[in-house]
Amino acid sequence: MTCTDEDIDGLVTPTKIHRRVYTDAAIFDLEMQRIWGKAWIFIGHESQVPDPGDYTTLTIGRAPIVMVRDKQHEIHVLHNRCGHKGAKLVDKPCGKVGGFRCCYHGWTYRLDGKLLGVPHMAGYEDTGFDKDDPQYSMQKLARYESHRGFVFASMDPSAPDLRTWLGGAGDVLDNLCDRSPEGEVEVAGGVLRYEHECNWKMFLENLNDTMHPMIVHRSVVDAANDYIKTLPEDSPHRDEAEIIPPFGASYENFEATGITGFRYGHHYDGGKSSIHSNYSVDPDYEAVMLEAYGAERTREILTFNTHNTLYYPSLTIKSAIQNIRIVRPIAVDRCVVETWSFRLKGAPDSMLQRTILYSRLINSNGSMVGPDDLTAYFRMQQGLESRASEWVEMHRNYGSDEDHGDRWTNKGTSDLDMRSQYGAWRHYMIGEAV
Amino acid sequence: MSDDIDLRDIEAFLYREASFLDRPDLDGWIELYTEDGTYWMPAIEDQVDAINHISLFYDDRVMMEIRRRNFVHPRAASKDYIVRCSHIISNVQVTDSTNDGLTVTSNFQCVVYYNSKQTLYAGRYTHELLTVGDEFRIRHKRVDLINCDGVLGSIIIYI
Repeated sequence: MTCTDEDIDGLVTPTKIHRRVYTDAAIFDLEMQRIWGKAWIFIGHESQVPDPGDYTTLTIGRAPIVMVRDKQHEIHVLHNRCGHKGAKLVDKPCGKVGGFRCCYHGWTYRLDGKLLGVPHMAGYEDTGFDKDDPQYSMQKLARYESHRGFVFASMDPSAPDLRTWLGGAGDVLDNLCDRSPEGEVEVAGGVLRYEHECNWKMFLENLNDTMHPMIVHRSVVDAANDYIKTLPEDSPHRDEAEIIPPFGASYENFEATGITGFRYGHHYDGGKSSIHSNYSVDPDYEAVMLEAYGAERTREILTFNTHNTLYYPSLTIKSAIQNIRIVRPIAVDRCVVETWSFRLKGAPDSMLQRTILYSRLINSNGSMVGPDDLTAYFRMQQGLESRASEWVEMHRNYGSDEDHGDRWTNKGTSDLDMRSQYGAWRHYMIGEAV
Repeated sequence: MSDDIDLRDIEAFLYREASFLDRPDLDGWIELYTEDGTYWMPAIEDQVDAINHISLFYDDRVMMEIRRRNFVHPRAASKDYIVRCSHIISNVQVTDSTNDGLTVTSNFQCVVYYNSKQTLYAGRYTHELLTVGDEFRIRHKRVDLINCDGVLGSIIIYI
């Protein structure tokens, strides 16, 4: 089915979303061009490519991309495509190269993407082929910038600068870094890659959906509480006992956490409180933080407690946990979610260990949390094939979002997050002011 | 380990463990583990650290007990589907032995039927077994999937 801008305009209203937005492959194709081809997309963290020649690969929409550090230590984000016949130049998740060399006809490129060598050049004499024509080099993405080590890129030359685009939501990325006594984080402890049989937006819409945990995650909360009850009072402390039960918090608790939305579809739940608020603090960690920042600033940093923060459309972070998830759309009914963990530089090992534990308990393919969320998404994907009703609704607390100029707030149980995302969706898809 | 432990007894024990997972019967399966027994499914090849590096599973008795309860909870949406497994174990070798135990490696293939779909898991098991008289208990089971670092779906049950 083809889509005109007029068609798209009718698919999302302030309180509802048409089922085609999740099920129509033509809409998905347009999203890849208009959202993923325009927005700032998270590429990776600078710590993943510490030395010249280090690279990591990814896709933006369908386009293969490589992030690489050159010999001047500058990071580039390039299309991972040979200028000759289009073969991907590197095809591993990460690695190290002296330069790029195509596996097919041996064209070679510098680490900044510039075409260096073409074998047997004689055949190109007097053909109009010019090796120095930039079109034959690896193409740089139109824009790439880093914020505190987090590298984003956009294929839109007229995109706003990264800091403007992040807006007030950037506070959470800053908070993640500030939780290090050195103010810096680095990727550590590996990655999980989790296939989701659902539209990519369903994953995003769940992040600040605080009406689901007490339903979807009730079983693991019950199982944990039932077992913990059987343990003797003097049993050793278990981080699991702090991490799992808050998923069963009450509607009132989640309502009180609040949701804050920003331009370009970003939002977070929590701020003053979240389901991570009551974690115990390692005294060794507290000591290095106090040493680095003093009491007042340490308190500010550690009490800014958000749950999930979305940087629409690609990146979601948990600053209080120090993990991130990245969504990669594959098809209208399929995406991959990656979970990465971060080390707070200068913090005791216990901090990374808790991050790893959290990622495993909550986000792993083998966890008792992620698969229940995924079951809900999968069933929505199937259920929305029904044409009995054409709409998905997002009315909760509609009309009471409070406008603070640069941000909107409402109750933690509101659909403000959905309204925020679909404001951005309309902006990218049909050019509506964001 | 004394030389009188027959490889066939070890194989029979591995088959018995697998048959609990085939059904699946997590109550019976847990009983094969020592109180301090652990189950580990690394997320990369040759992973040496389950604490500072992410794993797909790393369960001790506490997590096994929680998982066993969750598995039969009527409100666990992901468990709202029939789960059936079929394990094949081969190439069983004793790679180490001590006074009270032995380390056994084997190759496995496990087909999991779940939510109308069959998924093939394959790889290598490493069992650290405690010998108690004629019996074995599992101190540690390591499951190295050949695609541990690939894109995977939900892994709904111990493999």
